Amino acid sequence: MKRALALLIILFPLLAWGDPPQDYPFVSYDQGLKTAQASGKPIFLYFGRLGCAWCAHTNKETFSNPALRKLYIDHYVLVYVDAESYKRVTLPSGERISETELGARFKAFATPLFVYLTPQGKEIFKAPGFKTVQDFLDFDRYVTGGNYKTQTLPDFLGTLPSKP
Amino acid sequence: MKWLALMLFVWAVQAQAGWQFGAPVDVLEGKPGVFPHLDAANRQGLAWSDAWVALAWEDNRSGTSQCYARFKASAKSSFGQEVRLSAKPCIEPVIVGLGEGRFAAGWEEDGAVWVAAVQPGKAGAPRKLSQAEAGQISLAYDPRGGLYAAWVEHSGDHLQLHIGKLEVAGDAIRLARSAPVETQAPTEDQAYPALVVNADGSVVVVWEDRRFKHTVMLVAHSRDGEHFSAPYRLIDVHRSLITGPAAKLGAGMGAMRPTVSRCGPVSMADPGDAAGPGPCVVTIWLDKRDFLSGYDVYAAFSANGGRAFGRNFKVQDSFGDSIAQWHAAVAANRQGRVVAVWDDDRDGSSDIWLANWTGKSYSDNVAVPGASGSGAQTDPMVFLDDGGRLHLIWLDQVDPDAPARIRYLSAVWRD
Repeated sequence: MKRALALLIILFPLLAWGDPPQDYPFVSYDQGLKTAQASGKPIFLYFGRLGCAWCAHTNKETFSNPALRKLYIDHYVLVYVDAESYKRVTLPSGERISETELGARFKAFATPLFVYLTPQGKEIFKAPGFKTVQDFLDFDRYVTGGNYKTQTLPDFLGTLPSKP
Repeated sequence: MKWLALMLFVWAVQAQAGWQFGAPVDVLEGKPGVFPHLDAANRQGLAWSDAWVALAWEDNRSGTSQCYARFKASAKSSFGQEVRLSAKPCIEPVIVGLGEGRFAAGWEEDGAVWVAAVQPGKAGAPRKLSQAEAGQISLAYDPRGGLYAAWVEHSGDHLQLHIGKLEVAGDAIRLARSAPVETQAPTEDQAYPALVVNADGSVVVVWEDRRFKHTVMLVAHSRDGEHFSAPYRLIDVHRSLITGPAAKLGAGMGAMRPTVSRCGPVSMADPGDAAGPGPCVVTIWLDKRDFLSGYDVYAAFSANGGRAFGRNFKVQDSFGDSIAQWHAAVAANRQGRVVAVWDDDRDGSSDIWLANWTGKSYSDNVAVPGASGSGAQTDPMVFLDDGGRLHLIWLDQVDPDAPARIRYLSAVWRD
């Protein structure tokens, strides 16, 4: 399975090198936490890295969807973190760490990793790897509908009508 | 039956060969709201200098991040009074032994890199090394080769690697010369240099480089510490090895945070695994070539002072393969012993793990007693002194809400 996925990673054509998707208002982690607390919006945290082929594939195939873009800009504070970066962020506790260290703490061991956080910065769930538009739409319903307060993500997804 | 008893005895003695770890001691007690950091280029916050152990760290107890050093006589169990290195916000301090109980410390302060001679109880006048916004300093010293610093400095939109030759006179350090390793302006960031000075005066530097649009380890070597070779890749799996249609597609793997040490003479079952002959250099780094399980620890040896490195060895054992490793560091000594340390949570919570070079590969991994078990043990730094003793520091949290403390232990090898 690993070999098959490793082969797939080099077969996908790339338009970009794993930067955040274009035309999305991604901000830094510390800026995002402040904005989320002020706005009451949950946080959509995207861990990528330079050269991440699956990040580039997700950007091209999924985040290029205009409806998804509008939905996520409306519903979330969008945060992008380069899991290999030395850029510094200051946590609400006052601790100053690098984006790499933030990745270690979120166990962002494979990118992309998508983390949904409450406006207070508490983790709701993580979604690693490539995701489709429909995946992100389902995740949005789980988060903004408040279903995460009473159901696990697998339980919630099990209640959704099956797709044709 | 006597032969069986003898075999069992020999087997038992062999099974017990390894590091005998001492009891851990607190170097810095945990305090609510205070965050100590053991983070620096080359993970170089721990050093040894003729019967003295020194460590450098950063914490925010004063309201801003400041850098400190603390010292311990080898014969004593506890560390003495600390020395504050910085006046303005400071991060990522490093320290290196200069012999006779003297050390040199380097750090980033207020957007510049600084060095000072330090010793138990006092620090000399700091010397600024950088001309522009800079950081990520590391230091290397050899009694014959001298003292060098590597750091990255902004050049245009990117970070550029610089090397400086330093001269020590008493409590003063002077910058004799400095220059970028490459004359042309960087096209992407160069970061986290790790530096070695060999006894023949040659210098080798390993660093993270993004010029290929993904992060790779590059190496440059200098015979005189001033003129460096064109950089070459450390990693033996890269896009140039991908042939056919796939060569036009895909991005590279991630790799980061190299650490490097002199070593040797190191046992090497296959001499081809490290080009030679000459001074031994070992490097390890975090590597995502097996990207599904996060970063792994990889290593390579050079037996010609860093002019070339041999093939890459995976350091963690198969029990750690499905777990991400973090904060890897290497240490080696003149007796030929090489150890790698890192943290991972294969046993449910983060522990400090150690592997020894055996001559063919890295050993089965050992969770360091006193730096493993309940709670979180992270961010190790390691040093092997010329007497054969291993020194280890790490961050320790009893539980996720507890303040972090810095702990230390030492170990001796028993055959």
